[in-house]
Amino acid sequence: MIETEQRISIGAGIEAVWEYVADIRNWASLMPGSQSCAVLNRDDSRWTLKVGAGGLVKTVIVAVHIEQWNAPAGVIFSYALQGEPVVGSGSYGAARKSAHETEITLKLRVAGSGPMSRLWEAMSTPLLPQLAKAFSERLKLEIEGAAHAAPPPGASSGRSSVLGGLGRWFLIRWRSIIRCGLQQ
Amino acid sequence: MIRNLPARWDLEADVVAIGSGIGGLSAAITAHEHGSRALVLERTEELGGVTALSLGELWVAGNHHALAAGFEDSPDSGYRYLKRLSMGYGEDTAILNNVLHARVALQYFEEKIGLKTRVIPHCPDYYFGTTTDAVAQGRLLEVLPFPAQTLGDWRARTRVSPLVPYALTHEDIFENGGVANMRNWDFDLMAKRLQRDERCLGAGLAAYFVKGALDRGIGLHTGINAQDLICDGSRVVGVRATKDARDVFVRADRGVVLAVSSYERNAGYNKSLGQQLDLGSMVFPSIDGANFRLAGPVGARVARVPDITSLGFCVPGEETPDGEPLWRSALQPIGLPHTIVVNRMGRRFGNEAFYRSILYAVDIIDGGTQTHPNFPCWAIFDGQAREKYPFGSVMPGQDLPAGFGVRADSIVELAQRIGVDARALTDTVSAFNSYCGKSEDPEFHRGSHPWSAWMCGDPGNQPHPNLGPLLRPPFYAVQLHRIGGSAIPAAGVVSDHHARAVGWDDRPIEGLYVAGNSAARLETGACMQSGVSNARGMTHGYLAGRHASGRPSDLLQKERGRFGL
Repeated sequence: MIETEQRISIGAGIEAVWEYVADIRNWASLMPGSQSCAVLNRDDSRWTLKVGAGGLVKTVIVAVHIEQWNAPAGVIFSYALQGEPVVGSGSYGAARKSAHETEITLKLRVAGSGPMSRLWEAMSTPLLPQLAKAFSERLKLEIEGAAHAAPPPGASSGRSSVLGGLGRWFLIRWRSIIRCGLQQ
Repeated sequence: MIRNLPARWDLEADVVAIGSGIGGLSAAITAHEHGSRALVLERTEELGGVTALSLGELWVAGNHHALAAGFEDSPDSGYRYLKRLSMGYGEDTAILNNVLHARVALQYFEEKIGLKTRVIPHCPDYYFGTTTDAVAQGRLLEVLPFPAQTLGDWRARTRVSPLVPYALTHEDIFENGGVANMRNWDFDLMAKRLQRDERCLGAGLAAYFVKGALDRGIGLHTGINAQDLICDGSRVVGVRATKDARDVFVRADRGVVLAVSSYERNAGYNKSLGQQLDLGSMVFPSIDGANFRLAGPVGARVARVPDITSLGFCVPGEETPDGEPLWRSALQPIGLPHTIVVNRMGRRFGNEAFYRSILYAVDIIDGGTQTHPNFPCWAIFDGQAREKYPFGSVMPGQDLPAGFGVRADSIVELAQRIGVDARALTDTVSAFNSYCGKSEDPEFHRGSHPWSAWMCGDPGNQPHPNLGPLLRPPFYAVQLHRIGGSAIPAAGVVSDHHARAVGWDDRPIEGLYVAGNSAARLETGACMQSGVSNARGMTHGYLAGRHASGRPSDLLQKERGRFGL
């Protein structure tokens, strides 16, 4: 089994972060190579991803199951790749640092099964940390971008417009980097 | 010769290499070492060319590693071996020139750029055991793992292969049972190398040469597409390229080296030059015959040798970063035990474990019926093969993905489902199974080449690494498609012993050189030997770089008399 942990600080309150995280479709959309997300029920969804590694881009369908929703501090989940002998699990943890800052801890584990399990784990070794890092950083960018885009009470409309535009610009750039980045 | 000088030059050098595979980079590095200013123009955004996609083998007869290890060999023996392979379709002088200089170039780059190679243990020549002058091991070399972190910002822009496990060496793979026994591989080592980005095989070979160019400050220009050669009326003096839709005029005071590989992604050239129809390809889209497009207007001569059409398949869900289907070669899986290839009549038509045998039969034409009797064709295998061996990226024991192949509980049902005569297929399987029991294939001599056992076999399979019966259901069929030979072409630009392009008047075209798969394959002729393509790219680049810098090699002149040439 391969595991990785990623910590990141988000410039938003824990409730605002949870508001975003509580929608599983948002999780799927943050994944590099995300194509679609079918929500089956509150706890189960199917994500279609294009995963790139070493010049190969592979379409995988990931069955995600939420084991626990612990609003607003955590989520525990498991997942399995359809048609591939790969399963995994992980957790999302949020800790209030201040009214406007939340520390996120993302843990991811992956395990191959069957006779070629060690091959899958070897290939996951460099990918998993990249995936966790990209996901966390994009989560931060999305939430902070949304926070900046929404005009805070009392702020002038001109300032918020500039920051919102900047946030969107960063998001577009980030998406293009992510799409290419993991394929390198 | 044409005269099309521009009003301005945007870039200037003595030697301009077009293409950043081993041919172009070797030329640029050699030119630099001989006092020339060199630069490289690469059409894509990544360096390394087709070299980086390959297994990275270098076939060098009489190399110093083999001799130091005590393997008996010589350039003379290598020359005789290739001469036999060429079947008269090559040119003896070209064969000798390549053999003589490959070993010199190898040592040159080891000394100059820190290229590290070693003999691939127990890797025989293709024809070892069946022809004279073939060796059991020693001529095929591979690189030691290359630390790609040392490429700095160029690391992410130096190509790797989606098709070969470039975190392992040949030695790591084949000393642990080969592809047939993937489960025995050292996956901890693979994980460590992937994490550190240590590259082996072709990705490693290409990276050594990229590093060699970077260390010398050779300008590496990516995303720039050579459009025309520029001539002054008597010689080639530059290149018109485009970058971001703008013309870039590149001056080359001493020479332009065409090292752009071949034409495998150009369907028209495949048909008219290669006589190959509807090819899939494992190489990237820029391999579209730029060598002919560039060299044609200055009168370069083209030559063709007999060639094969390879077989491959796409696994659903896999694609390239460009969004195109990812083609995989069938070379290795069809040679494994419990696997055969049949045509639409349900008959085998070649030695599946030796691609240089069966593939010449793929495009045979029956003039009486105006058909290709051996195409379409299918790989047929049983539950034992599925349990033990990978089929491309489908791992042992894994179900074939939806839409990939056909599965049935009997050979008869399988035949019916793929539209092949059931009686004939049953007879074919029955006959093949009987050969397996005797460990001898009297029809096509499958397994008669030791190389087949090494590359395509299961060393643990008894009584023969390439022969195992199809007995256990379910049975499977995967239709095989025509694919190119990973840019190793039938046709190329003719060059002389200094790698100068040659015109239809048999005279060299001043200022124009050609390297690697851009050059006509007159060193090998009809047949082929793995490792020759990378070695000839390196050798052509070395020769071109020297000649363009005013330091041509005289080795051929010194030696040719000994060979009566």
